[in-house]
Amino acid sequence: MSSRIPPLLEPYLALPPEASLILLTSVLGASSNWLVLRFLHSTLIRPEPLSVSPRGDDTKLVLVSFMRDFAFWKENGRRLGLDLEKFASKKRFAFVDGLTGLFLPKISAVRGEENVLCSPEFATVSREIQRAIHSLKDTDEGNIVLVIDQLDLLLAAGGDEIGAVNLGEMLIGLREEAHSTILSISADYPLVSTSQTPLEKDHAALVLNISHEADFIMSLRLLDTGTARDVSGVLRVTVGDSIEQGSQGIQRRIEEKELLYFVGGDGGVKVFERGQ
Amino acid sequence: MASSFRKRHVPVRSGGLVSSEPKSAKQELPKGVRPSPIDGRSTTSTGTRSLDGLLAGHAGLALGTSLLVEESGTTDFGGSLLRYYASEGVVQGHHVHVLGMNEVWGRDLPGLVEAVSRKTAPVEVVNERVLSGTIEGNEDAGSGTIGPGTKQVADGSGSGAGEKMKIAWRYERLGEFGPKGPSTSSSGEVFCHDFDLSKRLVLPSPSLMYFVPSTAKPDFEFRGGSTSASPFNRFLDHLITHLSASPSTALHRVVIPNLLSPALYSSEVSRPESILQFLHALRALIRKYSTQLTAMITLPLTLYPRSTGLTRWMELLNDGVLELAPFPSTAIATKSTPGASTVHEEPPQGMLKIHRLPIFHEKGGGGGEASGHGDDLAFTLSRRKGLVIKLFSLPPVEGDSEAQQGGLEHDHGKATKVDIEF
Repeated sequence: MSSRIPPLLEPYLALPPEASLILLTSVLGASSNWLVLRFLHSTLIRPEPLSVSPRGDDTKLVLVSFMRDFAFWKENGRRLGLDLEKFASKKRFAFVDGLTGLFLPKISAVRGEENVLCSPEFATVSREIQRAIHSLKDTDEGNIVLVIDQLDLLLAAGGDEIGAVNLGEMLIGLREEAHSTILSISADYPLVSTSQTPLEKDHAALVLNISHEADFIMSLRLLDTGTARDVSGVLRVTVGDSIEQGSQGIQRRIEEKELLYFVGGDGGVKVFERGQ
Repeated sequence: MASSFRKRHVPVRSGGLVSSEPKSAKQELPKGVRPSPIDGRSTTSTGTRSLDGLLAGHAGLALGTSLLVEESGTTDFGGSLLRYYASEGVVQGHHVHVLGMNEVWGRDLPGLVEAVSRKTAPVEVVNERVLSGTIEGNEDAGSGTIGPGTKQVADGSGSGAGEKMKIAWRYERLGEFGPKGPSTSSSGEVFCHDFDLSKRLVLPSPSLMYFVPSTAKPDFEFRGGSTSASPFNRFLDHLITHLSASPSTALHRVVIPNLLSPALYSSEVSRPESILQFLHALRALIRKYSTQLTAMITLPLTLYPRSTGLTRWMELLNDGVLELAPFPSTAIATKSTPGASTVHEEPPQGMLKIHRLPIFHEKGGGGGEASGHGDDLAFTLSRRKGLVIKLFSLPPVEGDSEAQQGGLEHDHGKATKVDIEF
């Protein structure tokens, strides 16, 4: 079983063009963690430097995670052969911890160079992420890919002053700093379809906004027909509006597809077409 | 045999876990902890054997994870799960932190089945096989209705293949691991005890149970200061102080019964920012103390339906999500007159749905042949066996007489055929 990048996903995981936005959506039971890890892998470890970008080798990555701590990413990255700590020491990777300190006031968890978000306020969050981006920019030029895992948590738990519009503005500010942005967001049915409570309305607005802005969307969901032993879920790739209008570069690589995937117990992933 | 088994496990666990190198090197796991058969991470028991067996093959609740048990209707099966979980913690000497209840709840925990309480003397090496064997014997002597139960299969000594077929297949796999379990923990401790709902657990005198009441007005006392702080913040403060004060080998269990139930909580705390911040902070704590802390939460689903965004966020913030859907009591009543073939099997009292499993779904889900995810599962709560979860199979249709008639007709048919042939 291939523990690396599944061949069918390679075109999607390659270094996205400048100013692009990629949206990964997940549902309960079909988490996008493995996909985020594949993005980390393909961004930090480029199989052939001649593939897409001439400057591919010094692509850097900032990972902001609101739901998972660094230990999780480190452990699962290691299974892919991805030593995040090594990249961090080479100034090619920075982690912003949005879990440990966000709503826990009293823990003084300062772990080396890792950044810990301590307050859900926009100014603080935005400043911390930008600082992480700038800390990578210090060394030399290179594309910085910003990956934000479950940004929607900020919206759901942050309180009244955080609305979908404000969050969108913060996102635009952050996207200016980065070469490309990858977001993972929950898109469970109750969160995007009911739209009765403020929580649901805000979430639906955020998901809609981002999905219209996004260059392409990779959405994960469970099998419609129940569970199966050898299929974990369905991966659907939808090309966004902006690509259809211009920028032929990415259009050539990206086509809309619906694939099945299976995450093995060892963390390896198989992606295949229906019926294969 | 035992030592070679241990040696093989050491590198796996030190690779899987992040911060437990000193412990794993010495192979001195805390009481009530054993390595997972899948990846060697430390797990602890939920106090319910069949639930342990469901958790994606880890044969226990992995340390550093949380479990959300949702229940619809007015029953409280989830509460029983919590009590077993808390009892197991008390018996194993873990710290148990309860939110929203007071000491009365702690006095109502189910007690140990007698044979176990005698055998858990500290020096005596208790083999699980011997242990469950004695329980089996006791139960057989006590009540004639209990036949070849799950325990016998669970310890790998189930005899007939036919019997195995009747009982959920996943116990077979557990059975392979069962005998190894005690050998891996250095002192041969019992991983999961048997509890009796009709008995009361005697708490040790310096009790390691802590209660943080949810309301700001604790039993007829007037305390002006604490009214402002939300119960969640008080609970988090309590957890932080205890976790930072206790040694790194001490295990802690967080028990939260009936989260957000209006009987326990004021309406303010069910605002998304309040409850989701709390769950997020709890998740952060659990991850921070990922070798010490587990949590189990029950949520009344009728008040917070799964179709709402708030409930979905609560589910997303927990590692495991189970849903208990009890049958209406009338269904139990009609099914309690079982046919001849189901004498040993108690009728299921409800269905159990797995929406998410710890570790398993965090990785992406899949590769869990042993998870039981997606199967139809039913649960039965009984006094002695506790909550037993097994594959749901429809009992013989109530109109069993029809089938018998069919059989009779068939017999007649046969008979006439035979007659004709003659």
